[in-house]
Amino acid sequence: MSGTANNYAVEARDLTRRFGNFTAVDRITIAVRRGEVFGFLGANGAGKTTAIRMFCGLLKPTSGEGRVAGLDIMRESEKIKRRIGYMSQKFSLYDDLKVKENLHFFGGVYGLPDGELQTRLKESLARFNLESVEHEMTERLPPGWKQRLALGCALMHDPEIIFLDEPTGGVDPVARRHFWDIIHGLAAAGKTVFVTTHYMDEAEYCDRISIMHRGRLIALDTPANLKKKMQKATVQDLFVDLIRSEDTA
Amino acid sequence: MRLWAIIKKEFFHILRDPRSLGIIVLMPLLMVLIFGYAINLNLKNIPIAVVDNDHSADSRRLIHAFSRSGYFEVRAYPANAADFEALFRAGKIKGGLTIPRGFATSIVTQLETPVQIIVDGSDGNVGQTILQYSEAILMDFSARITPQQMQMPIEMRPRFWYNETLQSANFIVPGLVAVILMMISALLTSITIAREKETGTLEQLLAAPVHPVEIIVGKVVPYIALALLDGLIIIGAGLLIFDVPFRGSAVVLLMGTLIYLYPCLALGLLISTLSRTQQVAMMQALIITILPSVMLSGFIFPIASMPKLHQFISSVIPATYYLRIIRGVLLKGADAASLAPQALGLLVLGTVLLGLAVKQFKVKID
Amino acid sequence: MLKHLLIKEFKQVFRQREMVAIIFLVPVIQLLILGYAINLDVKHVRLGIFDEDRTALSRRIVDTFDASGYFDLVPTENENSASLLDAGQADIVLKIPRDFERDIGRGKAAELAVITDAQNSNTAGIAAAYTQELLRNFWEGEVNRKLRAQPALRNRLHRLALRSQAYYNPELVSVYYMVPGIVVILLTVMTTLLTALGIVREKEIGTLEQLMVTPISKFHFIAGKTVPFIIIAFIELAVALLVGTLWFGIPFRGSLWLLAGTASLFLLTTLGVGLFISTISNTQQQALFFAWFFMVFGMLMSGFFTPIENMPQAFQFLTYLNPLRYFMVIIRAVFLKDSSAGDLSGEIFALALFGIVIFSLALLRFRKRIA
Ligand SMILES: Nc1ncnc2c1ncn2[C@@H]1O[C@H](COP(=O)(O)OP(=O)(O)OP(=O)(O)O)[C@@H](O)[C@H]1O
Ligand SMILES: [Mg+2]
Repeated sequence: MSGTANNYAVEARDLTRRFGNFTAVDRITIAVRRGEVFGFLGANGAGKTTAIRMFCGLLKPTSGEGRVAGLDIMRESEKIKRRIGYMSQKFSLYDDLKVKENLHFFGGVYGLPDGELQTRLKESLARFNLESVEHEMTERLPPGWKQRLALGCALMHDPEIIFLDEPTGGVDPVARRHFWDIIHGLAAAGKTVFVTTHYMDEAEYCDRISIMHRGRLIALDTPANLKKKMQKATVQDLFVDLIRSEDTA
Repeated sequence: MRLWAIIKKEFFHILRDPRSLGIIVLMPLLMVLIFGYAINLNLKNIPIAVVDNDHSADSRRLIHAFSRSGYFEVRAYPANAADFEALFRAGKIKGGLTIPRGFATSIVTQLETPVQIIVDGSDGNVGQTILQYSEAILMDFSARITPQQMQMPIEMRPRFWYNETLQSANFIVPGLVAVILMMISALLTSITIAREKETGTLEQLLAAPVHPVEIIVGKVVPYIALALLDGLIIIGAGLLIFDVPFRGSAVVLLMGTLIYLYPCLALGLLISTLSRTQQVAMMQALIITILPSVMLSGFIFPIASMPKLHQFISSVIPATYYLRIIRGVLLKGADAASLAPQALGLLVLGTVLLGLAVKQFKVKID
Repeated sequence: MLKHLLIKEFKQVFRQREMVAIIFLVPVIQLLILGYAINLDVKHVRLGIFDEDRTALSRRIVDTFDASGYFDLVPTENENSASLLDAGQADIVLKIPRDFERDIGRGKAAELAVITDAQNSNTAGIAAAYTQELLRNFWEGEVNRKLRAQPALRNRLHRLALRSQAYYNPELVSVYYMVPGIVVILLTVMTTLLTALGIVREKEIGTLEQLMVTPISKFHFIAGKTVPFIIIAFIELAVALLVGTLWFGIPFRGSLWLLAGTASLFLLTTLGVGLFISTISNTQQQALFFAWFFMVFGMLMSGFFTPIENMPQAFQFLTYLNPLRYFMVIIRAVFLKDSSAGDLSGEIFALALFGIVIFSLALLRFRKRIA
């Protein structure tokens, strides 16, 4: 694994996490290339968030190994934190801070020097269309705007790998499209994006997708290959079919 | 029924958080256990120093009277009274007794023999109490040095009613019930509405065809049950462990406790409608209840000795009334009729507080 | 990075108007109200006298009690001692029996019944003792009157007289010792609760998870969560000092530096407890209850309400676990007694030890991980 470390942004081998005697993530093995948009699908409770939390250093794996940006998730989680961006599923901002202050704060805690912080702040406001609300209290933003702001906060320190846990829940189709334009822009700039979603149309936008079920990885390939293999027209159909056959098995 | 749905939901909130539930049930019990033993108003073993300038059998008798009383413990015998100062500053003693030279002669020749007590005024409550207890010891001693034919022919037969053995716990434990119940019920309810506001579920509730009053009542009922349970636990522990007498009727006490919960919960509700976040609600509830309910309700400090303004404030604190009810029932065996004024006070307080809460709640949702 | 944490924390506190009021206004109001004359003094004791003798002597006894200024006489017509006490209209009842004067005149011992409502064992004991004392004074007055003509006999009457003096607070003004004590309690409530709730709230909202994936170290995080409250606590302490000295006129005799230094140690303990609570709570409600328990424990077992010496031995040991106990002693001693660091070395050492232990425990338990 170590020999190829530099080619992969995120790697896992037999990564497992148990809570008591319940196995939330069961020996998953993946390798995400740099610059890839990697989709992580699965029903509720499949273990997606748990897996992402292990990559981000928020949870210790029970067994198995994992590397993020070539760094070991067991021992080097603090180093990993400087190189990744994370937008949690229950993504949260400080409601009682203004839009600009949230961005400023997150840039600050990542240790950006003042000058750079100011330029990044301006860039982010422009890039995420937040200039008009920069002085608003975050509490008053509509959900779609909050999500953009959350992404902005997670990207303030220009991380090379970005974990997005259901970033588009509750967002209207136009805003979602816009959100994905940003994601592809990031990938084009060489960033790796690791994203979970319940929207199957979004899965089509990914370079590769993996499908989790009850903690196990049951499929991993490009959307096109998977559709071909399963002889389905859409990812939606193939997802439903896969899950159904797993459940009856 | 809609109301029932809300009540059930609130019960689930409580039951599904075992840690909170455990805390709510166990903490009051722990508190009674600790404070029932620890808060003792009767002076005991107060450290003092003695300067005996006479070194006579009589002066030793006086010192002995002090140490034997149980109120005082002689910790040091410095050479002269100037040494008290250093002991005070280091917090080693709270009082100093000085017996003058010639004490033994003076008590058989002079009308008055002065004995000096110096107290540490920086803890004046103790200082004051030391003086009062010393006075009693000196008086006792005076009676013993008075010749037989000059003895006071009036014999005082002191009797102590309601607490014959002068147990501090008989006074403190019922007080703890009042104070803990008030704090816990105000705290519990103050969080409820603020929490729903914070998580956005209040909006959900208001969208349902429920009357605001139903929401409020529905939210409060489970806490009445919980607070009542707490009350029973504390009272039960008090009776079993501290042998607090129970002279009145259980029904009257139960009624009184229920009535007491009314203003307490209403206070919590008012706080929660006034607060936008749980944090603010909790801070308010704690700050409003913790000190005033302990200091101004008559739990420890006698209300009659307070200035007029404070006596007024004490009359708007629910615990003040309930203290009279619970001590009345437990210690005096008071009946319902004699406690009616206290119950009325609680009802009035509760109605005013609830009225304010409902009004505030309506303002918020309009 | 710390700078940003601090700025954020301050903004969050100061943007909530209610919070500012709770932190700065409410404590001052409480200090102003509770600092006054609330004490264990036994005054205005309501006394009902049943004079069944109705003689000159018995009336003189009634007058003595009336004039003492210590008792408030309550009317006793159509009452009996049980009805007065049961209804709570009197705290103490004195019965002068029929033939009282006659018995005394014949040199027989006359009995006076004194019945005290003893629900409060302390005040009851004191009131009963005071009754006895008044009676004795009365008797000596009587004897003196009668014996004025016989100085020889008079010389055989002896008594001890209490000459009392109070150091540091000669008039035993209660604000002198109540105000510093209340300051300790208010500081505890503020700092413990604010710290605990501040962190648990971020846990609940989810921003804590977001912060844990940033490279800020846990020391920075904890500093960011405590330094603002240290500053706020010092502002409160300063305001309290001003109110205490300027408004209440309490003399401040000790060293400000010693007070500031010991206050820092004390804050280390309360903030440490707040932090520790945040590590054992998942919700603000749980944190609130833990904090509440700590505060009530700290307050009642601090020696502020009742002397620690009154407690049974085992419970006195328990108070060693109470940081309020130490600071309560320190603040009063520095204020009024000008005690030195040496005088207070035991308390200072205990505070430091407690602070270090609880802070370390909190640090150990605090993880930049979820589970
Ligand atoms: N801290 C925990 N303790 C116990 N069980 C947990 C914990 N965290 C997650 N789980 C359980 O692990 C399983 C996987 O949860 P996870 O949140 O990873 O699923 P998910 O795929 O992200 O689901 P969703 O699509 O709903 O977000 C769930 O059954 C969950 O209840
Ligand atoms: Mg998830």
